[in-house]
Amino acid sequence: MSGRLVLALALGATVLAPLVAPTYHVLLMLPFMAYAVALLGLNLLFGYTGLVSFGHALFLGVGAYTGAFLTSVFKLRSMEVILVAAAALGALVAAPVGALCVRYVKIYFGMLTLAFGMVFYTFVLKFYRLTGGDEGMPFLRPTLLGASIEGLPKTDYLAGPYYYYSLAVLVLATLVMWRIVHSPFGLCLKTIRDNPTKAETLGIGVARYRWCAFVISAVYAAVGGALLGPPTGNVDPTLAYWTQSGNIVFMTLLGGFASFFGPVLGAFVFIYLQDWVMSVVPFWRLIFGAILAAIVIAAPGGLAGLWVRRPSVEASSS
Amino acid sequence: MILRAEGLRKLYGEFCALDGVSLAISAGEFVSIIGPNGAGKSTLVNVLTGVLRPTAGAVTFRDRDVSGIGPARLARLGIARSFQLVQVFPDLTVLETLQAAVVSRLGHGARLFASLAADRAVREGALEVAELFGLGRKRHVPARHLPQGDKKLLDVASAFALRPQIILLDEPTSGVSTADKTAIMETLVSASKRIGVQAIIQVEHDMDIVFGYSDRIIALHEGRVLADGPPAAIEADRRVVDTVIGRRARAR
Amino acid sequence: MLSGVFHGSILFLVSAGLQVVFGVQKIFNLACGSFYALGAYVGVSAVGWYVGAGGPPALFIAPLAVAGLAVGAVGVPVERGLLRFVYDRDETFQLLLTFAIVLMMEDAIRMTWGTSPRSTSGLYLTYGRVGVLGTTVPVYNLIVIGASLAIAVLIGWLLTRTTFGWIIRASADNREMTEALGVDMRRLHTTVFTLGTALGTLGGALVIPATAAMSEMGIELIVEAFAVVVIGGLGSMRGAFVGALVVGVLRSIAISVYPELEMLLIYLIVIAVLVLRPRGLFGGPPA
Repeated sequence: MSGRLVLALALGATVLAPLVAPTYHVLLMLPFMAYAVALLGLNLLFGYTGLVSFGHALFLGVGAYTGAFLTSVFKLRSMEVILVAAAALGALVAAPVGALCVRYVKIYFGMLTLAFGMVFYTFVLKFYRLTGGDEGMPFLRPTLLGASIEGLPKTDYLAGPYYYYSLAVLVLATLVMWRIVHSPFGLCLKTIRDNPTKAETLGIGVARYRWCAFVISAVYAAVGGALLGPPTGNVDPTLAYWTQSGNIVFMTLLGGFASFFGPVLGAFVFIYLQDWVMSVVPFWRLIFGAILAAIVIAAPGGLAGLWVRRPSVEASSS
Repeated sequence: MILRAEGLRKLYGEFCALDGVSLAISAGEFVSIIGPNGAGKSTLVNVLTGVLRPTAGAVTFRDRDVSGIGPARLARLGIARSFQLVQVFPDLTVLETLQAAVVSRLGHGARLFASLAADRAVREGALEVAELFGLGRKRHVPARHLPQGDKKLLDVASAFALRPQIILLDEPTSGVSTADKTAIMETLVSASKRIGVQAIIQVEHDMDIVFGYSDRIIALHEGRVLADGPPAAIEADRRVVDTVIGRRARAR
Repeated sequence: MLSGVFHGSILFLVSAGLQVVFGVQKIFNLACGSFYALGAYVGVSAVGWYVGAGGPPALFIAPLAVAGLAVGAVGVPVERGLLRFVYDRDETFQLLLTFAIVLMMEDAIRMTWGTSPRSTSGLYLTYGRVGVLGTTVPVYNLIVIGASLAIAVLIGWLLTRTTFGWIIRASADNREMTEALGVDMRRLHTTVFTLGTALGTLGGALVIPATAAMSEMGIELIVEAFAVVVIGGLGSMRGAFVGALVVGVLRSIAISVYPELEMLLIYLIVIAVLVLRPRGLFGGPPA
């Protein structure tokens, strides 16, 4: 089955879902699409540049709280403004954080990003006068393309206009990332992933490219974070906790970090599987932990790796 | 004279790897650096290619101090290198590897939204080098699947794809069978002419190769330059014969 | 301030376990916090059973400590069944595997003990309080601090004066050489990992009288333990000791001065250490 066909079918199904599928499942697509955007960015860093961040939930938080602040404190409801602001703030935070972190590799990079993630979490949690602490902040219903849809009941809004808006953002984000990954810049990232020493001797400044990838991935994560807000109407600090960072890396690995659409697949499977498992037993973490262990041990290429079955990126240390 | 090293010293704690090494490379030269293990050849290579900063002394490239500026900046200025232990990009194809070098050379690395596949200049530049090194037919093979000899060629070819002014080859024929050695050297020399490389520096152990191709030989011993001159002079130099080449002078 | 030292003592035990595993297996075990939590819950149950069976309250610390140590044996199946498959893999995958263990243990604990906090209410002050440096401190805290010190000394002795300790240090330095010298690496790995686990579970058990066992305690502790090993230096036992003291005391100072700061200060210090001196106070050269 050709990849293009599968993609077209998936897109078609996604577009038609609100019209034919039960509302419950349609609503579940919303966090999936938000995470998918974030994961496209994370995988630029992970799968294409070879850096694993354990603090990327920080940027989910930046995006989500940007939206919360804009809607509830500054009374700005335009989703476009929110998305642009989230992207800008994500980049703004990522610039210095990234500049610091990309000078280190492997476990030190992971530790630094984890620390930064927890700094953000603690800040948001403790300064409750500003951020609402562990109760979080409301993220009020945004206007989409200028249209204020206050009148619509919540589920109709979410399963209707907001659904298609999110989908449009996801499609746009995917197209942009596809371009980036297949550009000369993307090729340079891959050289850094495969052999940083060699890349340096070819004139490719490793730190600079890593920093770029970091900032871009942060922008994507922030946009994804902003998209996470409206469905629940509230954002809270747990969005930025270190286990959340672990979960999004898990999703990326689940879908397959060596493929472009792998992470998107991973987000989809994670969200739906989690929902299904939780409806059967309350112990989704046990099952998911076992799945993650199985993937790491037996199928490091993730679901996409199993499907393609090419001897791609190895998981052994060089 | 394009590349000059003056009074290079490199200390690792108390161990002195380079003890006042000076040399000068001019355009058109093919220079071989020889010496026993531990003589400081690798250290010298790393200092010349900007990987290491010398403890004392300086490296000048076209009257510009380039000591320790790092391999990336040095590569952009015009000095490229290949590695003793083959360095490739395991998951990139031959073509992609060469394209990366050309992207770097042309400065297209900042193009985030342009299509690599549509970049004619990059593609043609990469294909040209692939053909020069006989890797044309294998251009879609991922580097990890290439036989060792081809990996070596790719390592060298990607350095050449930068169209450097000087290329530094660290044991270009090591790990290669005797039959292939000459083939590689011939490819190297003809590629250099085609691309316009102005000087070649190589570190080599194989004396047949060294004496067969060099305009000049620099013999290193215990961190110092023992001798520096044309092959005939080196051959006749007793000290070099004793320490590096071997008791019996090689017949040419 | 003394409560900071108490907290630091517990932190030392868990971090010591983390360090010994990192030193030999080069794996940063995210699940050490989960083992800490396991030790806590088992400790509560053990004490509950002990008191229910009529044991004299004054000796409750015995079943507590024994249970804490014993449940460390869970390290054996974890190492044999999961960890050993990833020794030759990239660090990222090793880390992710330990994260998988974190997830699994979180639910395993929840399944066994439920979600509401468990405590050994009342037993905390069995040994009474004592006046130290102007404030009164539960004697229990002093016992734990003392025990922790004793264990630190014991570990130090173990590492420097026994063959086993020598083997640990040698394999941390150079795995291949140690293997070539005839050391059974499989058994060593299992033993070391179990030792690390047991230190964690013991720490969890010992903290129980002072706090309640709660479901988030594992994932919260790991970030503190992480701070300890970064400040102290990855792989260093001395680092675990000093780092735990630093984190424990700083945290209690921060709480008393400006509660919002608490862990924020610690994380900022972690970042500063990683940037200015990546190997921490006593660690080896960074990769």
